[in-house]
Amino acid sequence: MAQIKIKNLTYTYPDKKEKSLRNINLQILPGEFVLIVGGSGSGKSSLIRSIASLAPDFYGGKQEGDIFINNKNLKTTNRRELVQTLGIVFQNPESQLVMTDTEQEIAFGLENIGTEEKTIKRRIMEVTSALSLSDFKNSFIAQLSGGQKQKVALASVLAMQPEILLLDEPTSQLDPIAGEEILTMVRRLNEENGTTVILVEQKLERCFHFADRILVMEEGKIVKDSRDIGEIVKWAVKKENQYIPPLSKLFAKAGYRDIPLTIKSGRNIIGKENLMKEESKVVKTIPEKSNNIEKSILKMKNIWFNYDSEHEVLRNINLDIKKGSFSVIMGENGGGKTTLLKILNGLLRPTKGKVEVMGRNMKKLKIEEISKNVGYLSQNPKDYLFLPTVKEEMEFTIKNLHLEKEVHIDDLLDKLEILEYKQSNPRDLSTGERQRVALATVLASNPKILLLDEPTRGLDYDIKEKLGKILKKFQEEGMTIIMVTHDIEFAAEYAEDVILLYEGDIIEKGNKKEVLTKSTFYSPQISRLFYDYEEKIVTLEEGLKFLNKEKRKRDEVI
Amino acid sequence: MIYLYRKKENLIYELHTLTLAVFILSIFFLALLFTHPLYLTSLMFITSLLLITSGNLKEWKGYLKFSLPLVGIIIIVNTLFVRVGSTVLYSGPRVPVIGRIRITLEALIYGGAMGLRLLIIISIFCLFTYTVQPDRFMKLFGKFSSKLIFIIILSIRLFPLMVEDFERITEVQKTRGVSIENDSFINKVKKTLPMVSVLLLSSLERSFEQAESMYSRGYATGRRIIYKKDIKRTRDKIIFSATGVGLTAGIISYTWGYTTYTYYPELANLNLPDYNLYFIFLITLMVPSLLNWGCKKWPKLKSKI
Repeated sequence: MAQIKIKNLTYTYPDKKEKSLRNINLQILPGEFVLIVGGSGSGKSSLIRSIASLAPDFYGGKQEGDIFINNKNLKTTNRRELVQTLGIVFQNPESQLVMTDTEQEIAFGLENIGTEEKTIKRRIMEVTSALSLSDFKNSFIAQLSGGQKQKVALASVLAMQPEILLLDEPTSQLDPIAGEEILTMVRRLNEENGTTVILVEQKLERCFHFADRILVMEEGKIVKDSRDIGEIVKWAVKKENQYIPPLSKLFAKAGYRDIPLTIKSGRNIIGKENLMKEESKVVKTIPEKSNNIEKSILKMKNIWFNYDSEHEVLRNINLDIKKGSFSVIMGENGGGKTTLLKILNGLLRPTKGKVEVMGRNMKKLKIEEISKNVGYLSQNPKDYLFLPTVKEEMEFTIKNLHLEKEVHIDDLLDKLEILEYKQSNPRDLSTGERQRVALATVLASNPKILLLDEPTRGLDYDIKEKLGKILKKFQEEGMTIIMVTHDIEFAAEYAEDVILLYEGDIIEKGNKKEVLTKSTFYSPQISRLFYDYEEKIVTLEEGLKFLNKEKRKRDEVI
Repeated sequence: MIYLYRKKENLIYELHTLTLAVFILSIFFLALLFTHPLYLTSLMFITSLLLITSGNLKEWKGYLKFSLPLVGIIIIVNTLFVRVGSTVLYSGPRVPVIGRIRITLEALIYGGAMGLRLLIIISIFCLFTYTVQPDRFMKLFGKFSSKLIFIIILSIRLFPLMVEDFERITEVQKTRGVSIENDSFINKVKKTLPMVSVLLLSSLERSFEQAESMYSRGYATGRRIIYKKDIKRTRDKIIFSATGVGLTAGIISYTWGYTTYTYYPELANLNLPDYNLYFIFLITLMVPSLLNWGCKKWPKLKSKI
C-alpha cells in the first residue's frame, strides 16, 4: 500500500503565472529510496515542498489535487501530526539552523511539538550517537564545519522520528567527503530503519546507485518514472538528457547492454569483456600539455596567512600560475581555499611572503588597481546584484574602476548568452542567469585573470555545462582562470591543472590527469573506473574514446 | 554575545547557567553600591581571579586594551575639573575652559575609584560574554514568554550572520571598485547604501529560509515546551550558597555604611570598623575561583561535586 499518494497535483506559487507542478500523479511505497532529478525550475523542490505541505501552507499560492500520507489527506492533517511523520532537510545548512548550540538545535523540533523533557534527552542521545555527533553535542553551531552543520540539521529532523525523510539537495554546499558521509547516513537510515527517502540531488554520481526508483522532472511534470535504473539511463542517453551520472552515461553511450551504477560493477563489466588485459594496462599517453602557456602571470612565494595569532590558515604556499591556464583549487571545507583566492585578489594581505601579479608586487597595489586585472566572482552571485538592470550593474563596475567607456557591454553579454536580459532586473532571473550576470559585472573590467569561488554550487548539469563552455571560451581568448570548487566532475571536464589544499598546505599540484587519477575521493567517476590503467583518463569523452579503441583492438584480434 | 562564547574545559563552564548568572549579577550590583576603595579593589580582584582561572585571560586583555584608556580619561577629567579636594598636589595657571588648574589628591583618588568601578563593570561583562551560553541564559526566562525569548535567541543567531554577510558584500563591492576608506562622510554614506540594500535583500531571504525550516519542524503548532539541559549539581549549591552569603555580607556592609567612603573634602581613613564582615564577603565571592582551581588540582574533587 502506498505511503504517499499524489493525485492530479498542480501548484502555482503566489504572484507567478506559470504552474510549477502540472498534474502530478505518483505513489511512493513505504521504505522506498526515491531520487528526483531534473534541471533548475523543473519542479523538484516544489514537489517535495508540496509533500511536506510547505506549499501552499507556508508559501501560499494555489494548489489543485490531493496528497495523501498514510491514506490521510494533507488538507485535513494537523501540522503537529504531520511533522512527526515527515521531516525535511534543506540545501543551506546555515539558514535552516535556528539555535546556537547543537543539542538545543536537535531539541528544537521536539520542543515545538511539546515532547516530554525525558524523551527529548533520549532522542538527542540516540541521534547524536547514530550520526557521530556525540563529540559536538555541546558545540557552538558557528564553530562547526559545513558538513557537521548539515549533520545537525539532519539530526534535528531525525530526532522527531519521521517515517518519511525529504532532502532538498543536502550536499550541494559540502565538500566531496562530507557529502558522501551525509548520503551514506541517509542510505543507512533507509536500509536499516526502513525510512522512506525522497532525495533531490544534483551531484548524481554520489547517490544514483542508492536509489530504488528515479523520477525525472521537466517543466513541472514527471517525464520518466522507473524502478529499472538501466532503463532510465538508456532513455536519458537517447533523449540527450543530462541527468545521469558520468559512469552510467559512458557505458550507455558506448553501447553496453548492462549499465553499471557503481565503479565496482563498471570494472566487472569491462573485466568480463576482456578489456582489462595486461597489454592494455601498459598503454601510456603523455599527459595533455596546457595550451601555449609558459609565461607566469601570478606568483606566490612563501605565503603564510593567519586570521589570528593561533591558527595558521595558509602555510608556506608557493604557486606559479601560467598565463592562459585554467587551474582549480580543491580540498576540504576550511582548508584555506577561499583565503588563498582572497590573497590573489588583494582582499587579504599575506602575513608573510610575496605575491606578484603580472610581474608587479601586490603589496604596492591598491585593491582597485588589482581589480582592473584580477576579476573575482564570490560564492554568492546575489552579493553583486542590487541595481534595477543588468546594464546598470555592469556600468557600476566600469564607473567605479574608472575604466574607459568603450567596454563592450553588448559583446560581453552576448558571449555570456544573457544579452536579452540587458534591461531586466538581475534578481528576477533564474539561478544560472543570475550567476552569469554576476560574472558579467566582474568581466566588465576586462580582467586578465579570473578568480571564481565555487561557481557551480547549486547549478544543474545543463547550466554547469554552459558555464564550463563559456569559461573555456574565455580561456582560449587568453584569460587565466583560477577556480575553487568541490565539483570534481566539473574540474575534470574543463580545467587543466589541479591544486589540492589540505589544512593550509598544498599537498599536490599538477596537470589534472596526474592529480585526479591518483586520488580516491578527489577523482571523477571516470578516473576511478580506469584507476589501474597507465593511460590517464578523466573525462567522459576520453573514457568513450578509450573504450571504443580497446573494443576495436579486441575485435581485430578476434 | 553569540560570537564570543566558546566552551572551555573547566568547572566554570560546567556550572548551571542560573548559578553563573546570579554570581555575575551579584558582582555587578555590588559594584554599583560600593564606593570604598578597599571593597572596589576586592571586587576587581574577585572578577579578575575568575576571569583568569576560567581561562579567559587572553579575552580579558582585549577588553582591557580599550577600557584602560577609558579609565585614564576618567581620572584625568575628574582631576582637572573637580577642585573640591583639600590636599593640593599642583596649582597652575589659568587655562581656557578649565579655568585655574588645581589638582587635588582627593579628586585624583576619586577619579581612580570611579575608573576602577568602570573596570569592574566592563570585566564582569567580559566574564558574562565568555562564560554564559546565550541560549541557556535566555531559556532561564522561558517561563515568562517563550515566544519573546525565542525571538531574542533567533536575533542573537541572525546578528553574526548579518555581520558576516556585510563583510562578504563589502569585499565583493571592493573588488568592483567601491572604496570608502578615504572618502568624505556623504560619499561614504552614498557608497554604503548599495551594500546595505544587498544586505537587506539577503537577510530577508535568509530569514525566510529560517522561518521555513522552523515551520517544517512544527513551530507554532501549539503548546511549546522549553528543554533545559542544565543540571544542578553540588558545585552549584556550593557556589549559589556562597554567592548568597557574599551578597548578603556586602548588602549588610553597605547598610551599615562600611562600604561608603568619604573622598571630599578630605580622604577618610581607609580602615574598616569591622573586618569580619569584609572577609566573609571576600572569601565567599572567591569560592567559584577557588573551587575551579581545586578541581584542576585535584580532579577527583570535581567528580565528587
